[in-house]
Amino acid sequence: MSVKAFELVPAVERDLLMGDKARINIECIECCGKHLYMGTNDCFIHHFLLDEVTSSKGKLSYSVQKLLHKYLGLKKPVAELRAASALERLIVLCDGIVFLVDMVTLETVPSAAGGGAKIRGVTAFCINENPVNGDPFCVEMGVLSSKRRTVQIYMVYEDRVQLVKEVTTPEQPCAVSLDGYFLCLALATQYMILNYNTGASQDLFPYNSEERRPIVKRIGREEFLLAGPGGLGMFANAEGVSQRAPVNWSESVIGAAVCFPYVVALDESFITIHSMLDQQLKQTLSFRDGHILQDFEGKVILASTKAVYVLVPLPLERQIQDLLASHRVEEALILTEGAQRNIPKDKFQILHKRILQQAGFIQFGQLQFQEAKEHFRKGQLDVRELISLYPLLLPASSSFTRCHPPLHEFADLNHLAQGDQEKVLRCKKFLISYLGEVRSTEVANGCREDVDTALLKLYAEQDHDSLLDLLASDNACLLADSVPWLEKYQKYFALGLLYHYNGQDSAALQLWIRVVDGELQDSTRSDLYEYIVDFLYSCSNLDLVWKYADWALQKNPTIGVHIFTKRPASKDQSQLNPDDVITYLGKHSQALLLYLEHLVLERRTQKEKFHTHLAVLYLERVLSLMSKKPTDEEQLTRARERLQALLRESNLYRVQFLLGKMENCEELLLERATLHGKLEEHDKALHILVHKLRDFPSAEAFCTWASCSQDSAYRQQLFHLLLGVYLDGNQTATGGGAGDLEMAAVDLLNRHGEVFDAVRVLRMLPEGWSLQLLRPFLGRAIRASMHACRTSQIALGLSHSENLQLLHDRLKERKKPIFVSEKKGCHLCHNTFSEPDVVSLPGGVPVHTHCVAQRVRDSPTKRQLTNSSNHT
Amino acid sequence: MPEVSKMKKPDVKVVLLGDMNVGKTSLLHRYTERKFKDTISTVGGAFFLKQWGPYNISIWDTAGREQFHGLGSMYCRGAAAVILTYDVTNWQSLAELEERFLSLTDTANHDCIYAVVGNKADLTDPNAQLYQDSNVAPEDQTECEEERPEPQVLSACPTPPASPASLSGSVLHKQVAPEDAVAFYGRILRYKGLDEKSSLPAEKMCFETSAKTGYNVDTLFEALFDLVLPSILRKRNENQESPTVDLEECRGASNKRARSSCC
Ligand SMILES: Nc1nc2c(ncn2[C@@H]2O[C@H](COP(=O)(O)OP(=O)(O)OP(=O)(O)O)[C@@H](O)[C@H]2O)c(=O)[nH]1
Ligand SMILES: [Mg+2]
Repeated sequence: MSVKAFELVPAVERDLLMGDKARINIECIECCGKHLYMGTNDCFIHHFLLDEVTSSKGKLSYSVQKLLHKYLGLKKPVAELRAASALERLIVLCDGIVFLVDMVTLETVPSAAGGGAKIRGVTAFCINENPVNGDPFCVEMGVLSSKRRTVQIYMVYEDRVQLVKEVTTPEQPCAVSLDGYFLCLALATQYMILNYNTGASQDLFPYNSEERRPIVKRIGREEFLLAGPGGLGMFANAEGVSQRAPVNWSESVIGAAVCFPYVVALDESFITIHSMLDQQLKQTLSFRDGHILQDFEGKVILASTKAVYVLVPLPLERQIQDLLASHRVEEALILTEGAQRNIPKDKFQILHKRILQQAGFIQFGQLQFQEAKEHFRKGQLDVRELISLYPLLLPASSSFTRCHPPLHEFADLNHLAQGDQEKVLRCKKFLISYLGEVRSTEVANGCREDVDTALLKLYAEQDHDSLLDLLASDNACLLADSVPWLEKYQKYFALGLLYHYNGQDSAALQLWIRVVDGELQDSTRSDLYEYIVDFLYSCSNLDLVWKYADWALQKNPTIGVHIFTKRPASKDQSQLNPDDVITYLGKHSQALLLYLEHLVLERRTQKEKFHTHLAVLYLERVLSLMSKKPTDEEQLTRARERLQALLRESNLYRVQFLLGKMENCEELLLERATLHGKLEEHDKALHILVHKLRDFPSAEAFCTWASCSQDSAYRQQLFHLLLGVYLDGNQTATGGGAGDLEMAAVDLLNRHGEVFDAVRVLRMLPEGWSLQLLRPFLGRAIRASMHACRTSQIALGLSHSENLQLLHDRLKERKKPIFVSEKKGCHLCHNTFSEPDVVSLPGGVPVHTHCVAQRVRDSPTKRQLTNSSNHT
Repeated sequence: MPEVSKMKKPDVKVVLLGDMNVGKTSLLHRYTERKFKDTISTVGGAFFLKQWGPYNISIWDTAGREQFHGLGSMYCRGAAAVILTYDVTNWQSLAELEERFLSLTDTANHDCIYAVVGNKADLTDPNAQLYQDSNVAPEDQTECEEERPEPQVLSACPTPPASPASLSGSVLHKQVAPEDAVAFYGRILRYKGLDEKSSLPAEKMCFETSAKTGYNVDTLFEALFDLVLPSILRKRNENQESPTVDLEECRGASNKRARSSCC
C-alpha cells in the first residue's frame, strides 16, 4: 500500500547540459533560490535559472534557462559545491582543494592580502547551517582532510578562509555534518558526535565505512540522519540519543534527506519515501542511475549522471485524502497530526477536524462504531451529518445540508448497507446510543430539535424502552414531525406524552381514551386507564378534568373518583370546590358516596351538609337493601354498620332530619336509639333499646357511649335511668319478659356497680330481691364506701399533721419564744396575764386578747395610722 | 499510534533488550494493544509512547538480531529502566543476555533499574497458559484464538521456539528455571558494582510473562513504571532548575549579602 506523497518533475534535461557530449557526468549540484549550480566531471560549473511553472490544470513543471558555464581549470571533477549567498560566493571542492568562486561571474576569487582563500588536502567539507557565531558575513565550515585524523573548523569570508579550530578524532573521518558546536562524524568503524568547543565526544553506533558509504545528514536542530547497519536510516541527536525509531532503507542508499514528515532516500534504482511518523514505507519511485539526492531549503533535488529532477511534494491534503480514499484512516490521521507544526494553527484545526470526521465515517462504514464515535467526538462532528445518513430521521423543517465536499461516500444507510438488514440494524443501534450520549452535551447545541426528533423516531421504530424516558424528561422533539411517526408505529401512549409535553393535554387525553376504548392499539401500558385517572387528578386544567371525568367515572366509578379524591391539596385555582364536585357527581351515585366518604371520613371536613348527605346516602342504601327480597344479609349488615358508625361518631349531621326519615321504620331501631341519644333523649333511646329491641348489652353500651364525654354525675344519671327502665318494666311487664329485665338490672348493677349511688339503688330495689343476687354489687358498694371513709380519714389525718408541721415551722421562723407569765403586764391595759391565751403584737409584744379586740373596735385603722404617723 | 506523531517529549525511557525471537515486540504489543498478533523480526528498533498518569514514558523495542547489535548502546543511552528479556524455553537466550546484552546497558542512567523477564511462560506454566487477559477487546480475543498458529507452526521461523509439549522427548532448548533468572539478576548487580542490599530485590525484579496470554504483562510494565517514577520527578526538577531563575531566591540572596556587608 502506498501513498502518493511526491512527484518527480524533470528540471534540467540532458541535452541542455551537455548536448551530445556523452562523457560528461554531473558530479554535484547546489541550489539557492532559483539559481541552480552544477559541477561536472570535466571541471566545469554550470549556472541555470530554474522557474516553477504551474499549468492551467495545476500541474507543476520547471522552465530552465542556462546562464553561464565556466571551466575551473583543474581538469578534475568538481566534487562539491556550496553556496554562501550572503557572501555571493560558491565554495568549491575540486581536486582536494577548497576555494571560492563568485556566484555571478563564476570567476575564482583571488586570495586576499591577509590570508589564503584556499584549503588543500580536503576530502570533504560541510557548512554549519546553525552556527553559534551569528556573524552574517561569514560562513562556518567543517573540513576533513585526507592526511590527518582531524576535523578543522574554518570561517569563510568574502575573500578568505580562516582556520579557527582543529579537533582530533580517534579514527580517520570520512563524512561530516555540523550543527552548533556539534560535529556528527562518520569514522572508519563508527559514527560519533563531537563537540568541537569542549572536545566532549559521544559514540553513536558501529558502522563499517569501508563496506557501505556512510551518510551523515543534518535534518534539524541538533538532529542527524545516519545510514545504519542493515540499511537502516537512524536518527540521533547531539546527546547521542535516538528520539525517533529508525526507517528501513535498502542496503545501498546513496543519499537521504528529510522533507517532513518523510525521509527520502536514493539508491541505485529507486527513490524510497518513508514516513518519520510511523516508519512505514509510503512510496517508491523508480529512478535509474541515481547519483545525487540533496535538499535545499526544503526543496529535494535529485540528479542522475545526466539530468536533474525536483521531487515535488504533493499537497498534504491531497495525500491525506488519498489515504482516506483507500481507507487508511490511521495513517491519514498520523500524517495530519504530524503536519501540525507545518501548518498555521487555525488552518490545521479545520483540516484536523475534517480528517477526523472523515475517518469516523470510514470506520462507521466498516461498522467500527467505537472508533468512529471517538473520531466524531474529537472532530466535533455536526451530528446531523450522521443523522442525515438515515433516511427520514431529520425533521422536515431542519435547515441542515450536508457539508461540501462530502465527508463520506455514502448516499444513505441503505447504500452503505447494500441491503444487509443486519447491518442497517447495527447502524441504527449505534445511532441510538450515540445520540443518547450526545444529546445533553454541547455537541447538540443548536440542533437539539433535530437530535431529539431523530432519537424519538429511532426509539419508536426500534421499540426501545427509552422512548418514554425521552418524552417524560426535558426534550426538544418536534411535534409536527413526530406525530405521524409515532402514529405509524402505534406509539399512542408516547404520542400522548409528547402532546402533554407540548401543552396539548386535551389531545393527549383524547388519544389515550381512544386506546382504552379499544379504538386504537397500543400495549405500552396495560394500566392506561389508571394512568389517565392519575393524569386527571394531577391536571391543573379544571376544564379538562370536568370534561373527561365523566368518561373515567363511567368506566370505573371506584377508580374514577380518584380524580377528585386524590387531588393534591393546593391553594391555587386548580383547587376543586367540593360542592361543585358533589353536584357533578349527582348522577354517579357510587362515586358520590365514595367522594363524600373521602370528605367526611378521610379529610374530616367539618361541614354539616356533607355529613348529613353521607348519612342520608348510607340510610338510603340500607333502606334499599332492606327492601330487596331476598335480602342479602351480609351486605345489609355491612351497610348498617357503616350507617351506625357514622351516626355515632359524627356530631354534625342533622339529627332530626334523619330521625324523620326513619321515624316509622321499625327495623332501624338501633339507629333511632343512637339518634335519640344524640338529641339527649336518653329515655326514648333506652326505651327503644330495652323494650323494643330488648338488647340489653346495647343499652349498656349506649349509656357508656352517650356519657363518654360527660362528667361522672351525668354518667351516673344515665345508668340510674337505665336501671329505672329495667325496674319499671319489671313491674309492668309480665311473664318471662319480666324476669329478663330483672336479670338485666342485676347484671347492670353487678357489672357497673361503681357508677351507681348505692344508697339510691337500695332505695329503688324491690323488697323481695335476695342479697345473694346482688352480692357482687353490694360487696363492691360496701367496699367502696369503706374505702371512701378510710381514705377521707387518712386525708384528714394527713392534713392535720401537715397543719401542725406548718405551725411548728412558723414558730421556728420566729425563733424567739414569747414569754408570758403572771408577772408580766399587758402593754395595753398594764394588767398581768392570767391565761396562756394572748395576742402578740408585731415585735412579739404579748397583750390581752380582749384588749386588742377593744382597741380594734375603738380606733378605726385609719385613725390609728394617722396617729402613729403624727407620733413619728 | 498517533501518539508518536505528536512527538511529545518523553519524560523517561524504558528499553526492551534481548535476543531475537524471545518476544520483545509481542510483549509490547500485548501491553499497548492488548493483543497477541503476528510479528516480524524487528528491524533496528521501534518505540511506543505511553501516557502514564501525567507522564510520558517511551518504551523502546530493540532488534535482537545480531546485525543490529551495535545500535543497542545508543538505544540504552539515558534509559531509566531496561527489561532484559529471555525465552523460558530457551536456555541460550538467557546466556545471550549476559554475554551480549548486559554490556549495552553501560550507557543507561546510573540509577537505571533492571528487570529480568522470562517470556513465553505459557509454554511451561499452566497458570500462564490458562490466564485470561481481562482487558482484551472482545473481537481481539477471537483473533488470537483463531489466527494464532499452534506452537508447532512456528518452526517456520528462523529459530523455532520449541514447545516442550509438542516435541516431547526431543527438547531442543533447555528450559530456564526462575532461580536461574534470579542468579543472573545477582550477577547484573555485581556487574554494575551495586550492593545487593541497597538494590531492588531479585523477587521484585524477575518476572515470568506470556505475551500470548497476557500473563504478568501489565504487572511487569506497571511495576517498572512505578519504580521509575522518582527518576521522572528528578528529571523534571533538573529541567526546571537550569533554565529558570527564581527571582524570589535571588532577592533573598542579595538581601542577605547586603545585610552581611552592612555589619
Ligand atoms: N508461545 C508464545 N510465543 C510467543 C510469545 N511471545 C512471542 N512469541 C512468539 O515468538 C516469536 C517471536 O516474537 P517477537 O515478539 O517477534 O520476538 P522479538 O523478541 O521481538 O524478536 P526480534 O524483534 O527479532 O528481536 C513470534 O513467533 C511470537 O509469536 C509468548 O508469550 N508465548
Ligand atoms: Mg521484535
